[in-house]
Amino acid sequence: MTIDEHLTQFAGLPVAAFDPQGDAPADPSGFAWRVSTDYDGGKEEFRARLSGLVDSDWAGSVRALVLGEWGESYERAAPIGRLVKAADRLTGLRALFIGEMISEECEVSWIHHRDITPLLQAYPRLEILRVRGSDGLELAPTRHEALQELAFESGGLPDHIVRSVGECDLPALRHLELWLGTDEYGGDADSDDLAGVLGGARLPALRYLGLRDAEIADEVAAALASAPVVARLETLDLSLGVLSDLGGAALLSGQPLTHLRKLDLHHHYLSDDMARRIVDELGAAGVEVDVSDGQDEDDGDRYIAVSE
Amino acid sequence: MPGERPPPLTVVGNPDNRRVRLFLAAATAQRCPPPRVVPWLDVAAGRPVEVAPGSLVRIDSPGEDAEVERALRKADRPAEPGEIVGFSAWYDGFAAALLRVAEAARFAGADLLADPADLLVLFDKRTCHARLANAGLAVRLALPGAVVSYEALRVALRQYGWARVFVKPAHGSSASGVMALQFAPGRVVATTSVELVRAGGRVRLYNSLRVRRYRDERDVATIVDALAPDGLHVERWFPKAGLAGRVVDLRVLVVAGRPTHVVVRASRTPMTNLHLGGQRGALDAVRAAAGEGHYAEALRTCVRVAAQFPSCLHVGVDLMFSADWRRHAVAEVNAFGDLLPGLLADGRDPYAEQIHAVATGRFAAWRAAEAVAA
Repeated sequence: MTIDEHLTQFAGLPVAAFDPQGDAPADPSGFAWRVSTDYDGGKEEFRARLSGLVDSDWAGSVRALVLGEWGESYERAAPIGRLVKAADRLTGLRALFIGEMISEECEVSWIHHRDITPLLQAYPRLEILRVRGSDGLELAPTRHEALQELAFESGGLPDHIVRSVGECDLPALRHLELWLGTDEYGGDADSDDLAGVLGGARLPALRYLGLRDAEIADEVAAALASAPVVARLETLDLSLGVLSDLGGAALLSGQPLTHLRKLDLHHHYLSDDMARRIVDELGAAGVEVDVSDGQDEDDGDRYIAVSE
Repeated sequence: MPGERPPPLTVVGNPDNRRVRLFLAAATAQRCPPPRVVPWLDVAAGRPVEVAPGSLVRIDSPGEDAEVERALRKADRPAEPGEIVGFSAWYDGFAAALLRVAEAARFAGADLLADPADLLVLFDKRTCHARLANAGLAVRLALPGAVVSYEALRVALRQYGWARVFVKPAHGSSASGVMALQFAPGRVVATTSVELVRAGGRVRLYNSLRVRRYRDERDVATIVDALAPDGLHVERWFPKAGLAGRVVDLRVLVVAGRPTHVVVRASRTPMTNLHLGGQRGALDAVRAAAGEGHYAEALRTCVRVAAQFPSCLHVGVDLMFSADWRRHAVAEVNAFGDLLPGLLADGRDPYAEQIHAVATGRFAAWRAAEAVAA
């Protein structure tokens, strides 16, 4: 699987493409504004569109921004500097998606990034940040008071990003997604790198933890068996990965998960028997368990859902 | 005119192929006199071509028959199943065979439902692309000039600044030999159904039913170098729209200037061909995503594409929507793009539709009008 469709909703708002030639919208805060270029328009068109939005009279009313293809994204990093400069214009910005591209535009593991720490510093009131792609991505441990949702969608999330997230102070963070990916695409984190996140000391408000798209899904499941953060979760999301019966058994034999509202395991390599046991045991406790999209091994190989 | 007596028909095809069977079934259902079938093998092998006197001659695909393929290539041995060989030799043999059919038709006072000249353009992606581009139709930019090797391809792509392209054998069909290439500093990936086999110091390429990825530049170069001597057409990648987790495009069959049958092809890979794991998708969803206005505009593009081939009763246009659904582009035009089993429009399958267009005089009227317009 790859990511083949653009978002139509972001941060609870319908996504609308920003058109610099268009009329000023009646309600600029009612949409997640998508700024992107295509292969033909290139980086100049992206620049013009982003400037058009930032310089508009209503820039201060923009709540949500979705940045798609910024031009040659396979070798030019995300326009973090431009966003940082625009912070005094985008004063109402609360939700930001960087790299909302489908695989037809740029494969997830090719999307080029840089250090996003300045972005978090420039937007202290940002509540939602999603980043797709991890090539070249940097993050320094940071404190951010407002951030409620943080997601790194990736085919291979570097270990230093995983560690940095665990070292960030995010008192308001309710939703964290790390798409760990495969080491073939730079996803070299192991369960030790997850220690900060799983300890949860700096994530007191966390309710949703997604350790998704993971080639190390079984190892993650084993680490979750005794992870302090689990007790405060409502949703544990291990979907899109290669979870097998090994990990399934670890989930069942570890600390109780019966307090969860939802356990999402879709796209997995569990046997029917193990999947049924998990559904039966946790379902009886009122946990919604998603074990859909079971995969079959291909010549003994297991594949995460999103990689290249 | 409606009710007019259907004309006698000749079909040039592979008699056992389902294309021919489906056409004969449609002809019977439309109460045509039984069409005469001229086996492609006779044409390809140089045997006399017996076109029915005064008939309308349908030329169907010579494909899916190893012996016909061998005869067209004038090769000693048939290709192994799936083996990619001699696109260029095949094209030359196909051209010569079409001329023999045309000559036989003229001798029999018969009328072709597609002229060799148009068919040969449709089977050369370079000239086909040029014809559409000259007509101002929405196609991707293509590299001008011949691409003789992988090295030449890299040089040309650097010169144009293109990092994502489709490389297609000029005379290929059914995605045979097509590669989707992506470059970034220090890396390349080719997505293709080509299977590269190195054995005994020889390189062989096969069409496989599995779309795979090559990330080793040596493999990519080997494949491109193996295909290049038979001619390559290189287009900029057009990021295609997706729906429900799949990339989609359309096959639009245009019969005598009307877009009659539309199929959505949906795939998890950049190749949407149904034999490569593509599926038929939901047309309603595509129309909703594109918007009715844009969808109608896209169909008009297909009609204009068909008008570039006014001798052809039908063409199958492969149409792509951009990832943001705001634009569209023509990917391919298929001379034999009417194999859409079970697809009915106004109660007619693609074959019945064509017979209807001929019997009612609609094709003759359209062809005459387009000839004047040209």
